[in-house]
Amino acid sequence: MSTVESRPLIGEGISRVDGPRKVTGAAPYPMDFSVPGQAYGTLVQSTIAAGRIVRMHTDEAAHSPGVVTVLTHENALEVGTGPASVLGASPPAPLRNDRIVHHGQHIAFVVAETPEQATAAARLVRADYEAAEPLLDLQDPRAEHLHDPWGMDHSRGDAAAALESAEVTLHSTYLTADNTNNPLGLFATLAVWDGDTLTVHDTSQWPSMVRASLAMAFGIPESSVRVLVPYVGGGFGAGLRAWPHVILTAMAARMTKRPVKLVLTRPQMFTSIGHRPSGVQWLSVGIRRDGELVALDHRSLSSLSMEDNDFEPFSSGTAFAYQCPNVITRDEQAKLNIAVPTSMRAPAEAQGNFALESALDELSYTLGIDPVELRLRNHTDVDPRNGLPWSGKAILECYEIGARRFGWSDRNPEPRSMRDGNWLVGYGMASAMFPYFAQPCMAEATVNRDGSAFVRSAATDIGTGTYTVMAQLSAEELGLPLEKVRFDLGDSDMPDSMMAGGSGLTGALGNAVHDACRRLVRSFVDLVRDDADSPLMGISPHDVECSDGRIHLMGCPDRGESYVDILARHGTPQLSATGSSTPPDAKEIGLSLAGAYGAKFVEVRVDPDLGLVRVARVVSAIDGGRILNEKTARSQIIGGTVGGIGMALLEDTVTDPRTGRIANGTFADYLVAVNADVPELDVVFVGEPDRGTPTGTKGVGEVGLVGIAPAITNAVYHATGKRIRSLPITLDTLL
Amino acid sequence: MRTFDYVRATDTQEAVRLLADDPAASCLAGGTTQLDLMKDGILEPPRLIDITRLPLHGIERRGESLHVGALATMEELAAEPIVAERLPVVRESLLLGASVQLRNMATIGGNLLQRTRCRYFRDPGVAECNKRSPGSGCAAVMGAARMHAVLGVSERCIALHASDLAVALVSLDALVHIQGPTQRRTVPLTEFYITAAESPEHENVLDHAELITEVEIPLPPPTARSGYLKVRDRVSYEFALTSAAVLLVIDGGTIRQARVGLGGVGSKPWRAYEAEHVLTGAPVTTATFLDAAEATMRDAWTVPGTEFKVPLARRTLVRELQTVAGVTS
Amino acid sequence: MRDVASERDVDSRSTVNERVVTLDVNGRTYTLRLDTRVTLLDALRDRLGLVGTKKGCDQGACGACTVHLDGRRVLSCLTLAAQAEGREITTIEGLTGADGPHPVQRAFMEHDGFQCGFCTPGQIMSAVALMAEGRAGSDEEIREYMSGNICRCGAYPNIVAAIRAVASGGGHDAHL
Repeated sequence: MSTVESRPLIGEGISRVDGPRKVTGAAPYPMDFSVPGQAYGTLVQSTIAAGRIVRMHTDEAAHSPGVVTVLTHENALEVGTGPASVLGASPPAPLRNDRIVHHGQHIAFVVAETPEQATAAARLVRADYEAAEPLLDLQDPRAEHLHDPWGMDHSRGDAAAALESAEVTLHSTYLTADNTNNPLGLFATLAVWDGDTLTVHDTSQWPSMVRASLAMAFGIPESSVRVLVPYVGGGFGAGLRAWPHVILTAMAARMTKRPVKLVLTRPQMFTSIGHRPSGVQWLSVGIRRDGELVALDHRSLSSLSMEDNDFEPFSSGTAFAYQCPNVITRDEQAKLNIAVPTSMRAPAEAQGNFALESALDELSYTLGIDPVELRLRNHTDVDPRNGLPWSGKAILECYEIGARRFGWSDRNPEPRSMRDGNWLVGYGMASAMFPYFAQPCMAEATVNRDGSAFVRSAATDIGTGTYTVMAQLSAEELGLPLEKVRFDLGDSDMPDSMMAGGSGLTGALGNAVHDACRRLVRSFVDLVRDDADSPLMGISPHDVECSDGRIHLMGCPDRGESYVDILARHGTPQLSATGSSTPPDAKEIGLSLAGAYGAKFVEVRVDPDLGLVRVARVVSAIDGGRILNEKTARSQIIGGTVGGIGMALLEDTVTDPRTGRIANGTFADYLVAVNADVPELDVVFVGEPDRGTPTGTKGVGEVGLVGIAPAITNAVYHATGKRIRSLPITLDTLL
Repeated sequence: MRTFDYVRATDTQEAVRLLADDPAASCLAGGTTQLDLMKDGILEPPRLIDITRLPLHGIERRGESLHVGALATMEELAAEPIVAERLPVVRESLLLGASVQLRNMATIGGNLLQRTRCRYFRDPGVAECNKRSPGSGCAAVMGAARMHAVLGVSERCIALHASDLAVALVSLDALVHIQGPTQRRTVPLTEFYITAAESPEHENVLDHAELITEVEIPLPPPTARSGYLKVRDRVSYEFALTSAAVLLVIDGGTIRQARVGLGGVGSKPWRAYEAEHVLTGAPVTTATFLDAAEATMRDAWTVPGTEFKVPLARRTLVRELQTVAGVTS
Repeated sequence: MRDVASERDVDSRSTVNERVVTLDVNGRTYTLRLDTRVTLLDALRDRLGLVGTKKGCDQGACGACTVHLDGRRVLSCLTLAAQAEGREITTIEGLTGADGPHPVQRAFMEHDGFQCGFCTPGQIMSAVALMAEGRAGSDEEIREYMSGNICRCGAYPNIVAAIRAVASGGGHDAHL
């Protein structure tokens, strides 16, 4: 079989295999499914942030035209809580009791014959509350804190002593706002019961997780639950949990004995499916005059809801981003009366990297060292936490090639030195990394009698290109033309997959697909081992490779035969094999598992009179290991960059300071980047296939966002001489 | 949305009669405000009178006035050659508003009548809103105010009038032609609006059974120069944080005529007479423009979150005066 | 599973205001009995099964529901179905011609002008209209006049590239 090393670093940029469906409107998203006889659900949400419900008034709604039922905590089915995952406990079960822990909490579910009737009736549901004073401010001393909730706090050397004796020190505080994932597809759930069997169409990045949660909620075996999501409509982390509204929809369907469909409203998308939590970070840096880091003390406090948890160790990346002998990282979370935070594209690292890369930029001016040079001086080829070499880290190449493409050497290091009419011009840069997260994964590969292949796994394609790259990978492994291979996903009945999150799916699923295809080829070789009619008789599976729909002796295409011929001669309609992958163990392979790396270079224009910041150019040089498809991978980087521009300049979920209500919960008020905000974006991939996994990939779904915000604030400093330590940089910041 | 009766009016008199017959009925034109607020549960008319098929779509020049049918869309008006030629400030204010899709729907009459974007007003879950329930209070004053007004406001209401077009039109002394059940009348746009300080719940002088039929825009002298600057965080598709509509007639280095409107700051589209007073007869210099800006915003009433609008509005005006006059700083 | 629940015989609906509405969609005429509250978007999606047009906000703020009404791009979420009577409605499903996808659809595939694909029908309807409006003259112009369509995946540069390619002839026959 051919080896990864023999393949090009950058795979062919073929167009998405699901493109024809997406551009014609034929790709079905969860909200697009309907079944005969379905009823429509609408959520009613609390208008206080803390306290309890004294009384629900549902009579008027219940007697409103077309209403089937109104569920509240007084009549809801009692359901079990789902399983914990790596991202935290399952969200609390809905309508459990009279307790209110955040504004926008679901307090009733109205089911009616039409969506118009459900929506109108929901307005008639009223609640009497006994309100308590909500805890809303991140730094409220009354808030309960969780210390090191994820066991990732790190300490090496003696940071305190090193700071004390450092030649130069910097102590800074950084603020990052709440951001809301806001995928464009409104989250939707359609629940259909058939006896004790449940089928659910649901907006999810992890169908297996939703299946497990529904099974536990209703006390039925997982095999009785099927979750379908062929197209997701975006998630950016919001689809990584089985949210209360999903359970509620299934509950309503069970209670009404009707299929029930729920589509969240855009305002409900701000309170029902998570958001990036706000945070404050305190960073102290000790450094020598020659630019060598001697101490890093990075602490964070981020927001958490009352009854949930969320994986958000802001400072964790600082433990291994640079060579530094004395490091301490500490993360805390404060429990507040807010809607549940959750992972949003590049969780924790987006915020932690903003602090660290801003501080290094500030020090580069203090020390008079070029920002790129300062990072080079603190580069490490080994993981400073364990001394193991990285499985792949081409960040030096990122700096070099990124700087060259950007024209970094043209930069006048003096702040406020570059101008274009009314605009001040600034250049800024930042390093980026995103350590991927992998989980066990399975896939099944089948070759049919007509020579076509079908490969599948219960994964999702959230826009990353999973359909496409897995088809490409399968075609490559099986030696088939791409048009002969179909890859399917989005169905929990398929072999288990990990979530589409943590930049881990392409690697983990790719390795499972790789394994499944290899096992399948082996099955073919096994089939003809004693077959005198086969030119492959007696050949070891290790000595074959596949091309043009044929298995043949390695390096000898003439000695072999086609899948079609083998299956025909043996009267077998198809052969299948299941493959799996487990995340590699660093100690076992003697390598520390590297994520993707990048260097980001940004040019901004600042109108100092009007406070305007416009991004003029971005160059992203990325080490993503082996890139399976240049086109879709590039799209991941530009998409992350656009998210980073939003985080830096626009996105801020505003909570009303008195009531805890989201004050800007619409697309007209919560600003995400639009087309006019985004210039031409340059992306270049560098590096080598990663040595830690068989396919050599790293995930690139998140590294595109990391580093954009500090590169922008660093460029704003270069343009204006103003150091911004709080995101987003709305125009009043610069007036 | 509460259920409603849908009626399609075929002529203007019928529409006005239908309105007069039902004190709770509303008109539906482009729908971009009306339906949005009905979905939010802010407006709940039992009867909706679709006026989109009334013969009020025409745009016509008569002498030195442009007569714009109330149902002409924003895109249609922006596309008129005479608007590009003589009314750049109108064209720019139109094209910097909303998106093309919305501009293909939104009508000129509807644009003038658009409701505030205040998120406290637009959420029926918020009890305190003097605009919705007079006497209930104002949640925005104590809340997260940024997109709110600082002129023509009080602690009772800080809702912003978010129209760009109206800022341009108010500076041009446009006239609003109104049809009622028994009579027609014409109101200068500068007298059409009521500030939130005067009355949060009443936004203009239009009676329930009256329709705007036409907006008349006097054409400025051919030598006038004009323009509209909109300042916002997002490059496009966002309401103004501040804006300035400017028209100048300059003769030999002296400003002979000046018209100034300010957006993003008022509970109504704001005409900055004080600035015009400073500008008229003054030399075309940045010093003049700074003086004019300084004369504006003196009555601003701010809350935490809106203070930045005072300096920003002044700077916005100075910049647009420079741009229109062709003076660099 | 994609059947549309076409008829719902429910007694309680007698208290709802209804209206018979005739819609001309993609060259076909449909007569529907609709709750007056039904928007054009919901009529297309829930009543006619034309689910290619997407609901991203239902508040006129994202562009996912963009369709053409008498050849002009509008938001179907803020248009009542009844208002669209007598107008020529074109949706993404009506864009594909007998000779396959529209050049703009092909260019979106070629230039990867989408990721999750949810905003794509709206982007494409908007892009086709933009070209008819004569607003594809420069990248700057394309960006401005495509800004009413939010793409949260951030495919904007590729959307611009796709439109630019069609506008400049880019190998496709632009019959617009």
